[in-house]
Amino acid sequence: MNGNWQLFSTFGFFIVLLFVCGAYCLVVTRSMIRAIIGIELLIKAVTLLIILAGNMTGQVALAQSLVITIIIVEVVIAATAAGIALSVFRHTDSLDVRSLKNLKG
Amino acid sequence: MPSLMILIPLFGIIALNLIFAGSVKMRRWAFVFALALFVLQIAVAVFYHPAFRNNSLERIDSFFRMAFFIDHLTFIMFICIGLVSIASLFVARYTMPDESGRFKFTNLLILASLGMSGIVMVKDIFSLYVFMEITAVASFLLIAYPKTIESLEGSFKYLILSSVATVLMLSSIGLLLLVSGSTSFTEIAAGIDGSRGSAFVLLAIGLFICGLFIKGGLVPFHGWLPDAYMAAPAPVSILLAGIVTKAAGIYTMIRIVTTLFPYNQAVNSVIMLIGTISIFVGAIAAIGQDNFKRMLAYSSISQVGYIILGLGAGTGLGIAGAVFHLFNHSVFKSLLFVNSAVVEKETGTCSMNEMGGISQKMPVTGTTSVIAFLSTCGMPPLSGFWSKLIIVVALWQAGHHVYSALAVIASVITLAYFLSMQRRVFFGKLKAGLENIKDADRGVLGVSIILAAVIVGVGVFFPFVYTTLISPVKEILIR
Repeated sequence: MNGNWQLFSTFGFFIVLLFVCGAYCLVVTRSMIRAIIGIELLIKAVTLLIILAGNMTGQVALAQSLVITIIIVEVVIAATAAGIALSVFRHTDSLDVRSLKNLKG
Repeated sequence: MPSLMILIPLFGIIALNLIFAGSVKMRRWAFVFALALFVLQIAVAVFYHPAFRNNSLERIDSFFRMAFFIDHLTFIMFICIGLVSIASLFVARYTMPDESGRFKFTNLLILASLGMSGIVMVKDIFSLYVFMEITAVASFLLIAYPKTIESLEGSFKYLILSSVATVLMLSSIGLLLLVSGSTSFTEIAAGIDGSRGSAFVLLAIGLFICGLFIKGGLVPFHGWLPDAYMAAPAPVSILLAGIVTKAAGIYTMIRIVTTLFPYNQAVNSVIMLIGTISIFVGAIAAIGQDNFKRMLAYSSISQVGYIILGLGAGTGLGIAGAVFHLFNHSVFKSLLFVNSAVVEKETGTCSMNEMGGISQKMPVTGTTSVIAFLSTCGMPPLSGFWSKLIIVVALWQAGHHVYSALAVIASVITLAYFLSMQRRVFFGKLKAGLENIKDADRGVLGVSIILAAVIVGVGVFFPFVYTTLISPVKEILIR
């Protein structure tokens, strides 16, 4: 791990940065679309982490196949989430998560 | 050969949509196809063929580059998946009059059960993630399916929290890849053994367990669960409560904890603590509920607490108890949700204060509900008693006397909220306006009776069930 320390720290910095951005976005926002973007940012951070792991352990081919799979799955999730947000918009005419307060107890 | 459990449903869905979607008459065959599929799944699990276990159809398996394996735990999960899916299918036929809507539902149901069959067969942490996402996406769509604002809200909450769980698990997968250079269970376990106490490994374990707590709906992370269960249409509630959260959260936790970090004291004590908190918070929250389905959802949180309490004991007996309670829970909770679906359909409401004396009009539903809730509280000789007994004994043997006493005390609270439910909904005088209700159709009643028979049968023939099905599960701890 010592030889690749510079690579590791650079990657690590950006992974943590993306992670913090995504988490902040998810916590602060009140818009459904921004929440989806926050999730996307988090998944991007993880994708970067897997690329780093593949590079550090010499398993580049494995990491590539994993990353491609993650991208496909993430698109499916984003499409589903956007569809749900669109349906909510049709009901309430707003994308504010504060309009989602019907279920309590 | 195990890959056929994935391939048959997959090509089945494609064929259904290509050939049968055209005409309304043909769409009815979707029901028959799904039913045949689930019955086949149970049949395979019950009379398992030695060929199915060991042989692999090399050509098909190599095409997929995905290694599956089947052990005793997988068979129990197959039975659960099949039973709950059949219950959900029959209830859908009863509650959804619209033919084309039901066709979509059946497709998504097959997709969800495909994902769960994959979850219980993989031996690779990344394939586990892929199948988990298949199940999760099918569940989001199933919850949002009526497109009312409540169902969309439940679905969106589930989606966001489930995605956060996914991110946590994927980061853990990345860290484990960094430590061990592979994604298969055996190599990761070897990698963890090699670097004991490394900060990366501890972080990875913590992240993965956190993700599974969210997926399983345990107490600090349970916010989405009552909303999703309550907002979902009746057949989907059965599927979610009976098997989806159990396969995606609890089964995975049992598999991961026993294969990747067995005998890890820290992990076990965290699991036991969260389990006990879930038992109490779920049970106490259930007492105050007025909505039938929401009460069952909180009860579900409480029962899941028992399952992971057994897992946290860390012994073979504890894991056997946890798996046994997982099986029992999926049977009796599905039965209770089937009953709630019938009541909701007939009375048009889920509020328990507007019901009363329904047992006079629905004798079968009332009786099966009594059997199911007595089993949940742990009344001998029903099935729930034996699994709770095993968990309590395992905790006591492992030296966790306080947890074992708390588990017994919490059973009383379970009895309290279920008795209150039974009195308000089924017993007493018939409320005005409910004179014209009738019991469900024959298919749903058949399902209720079969599930009740399973509860009583497993309870009465407990020694046989325990030695043939449950006891061999202990093997997964010894590798």
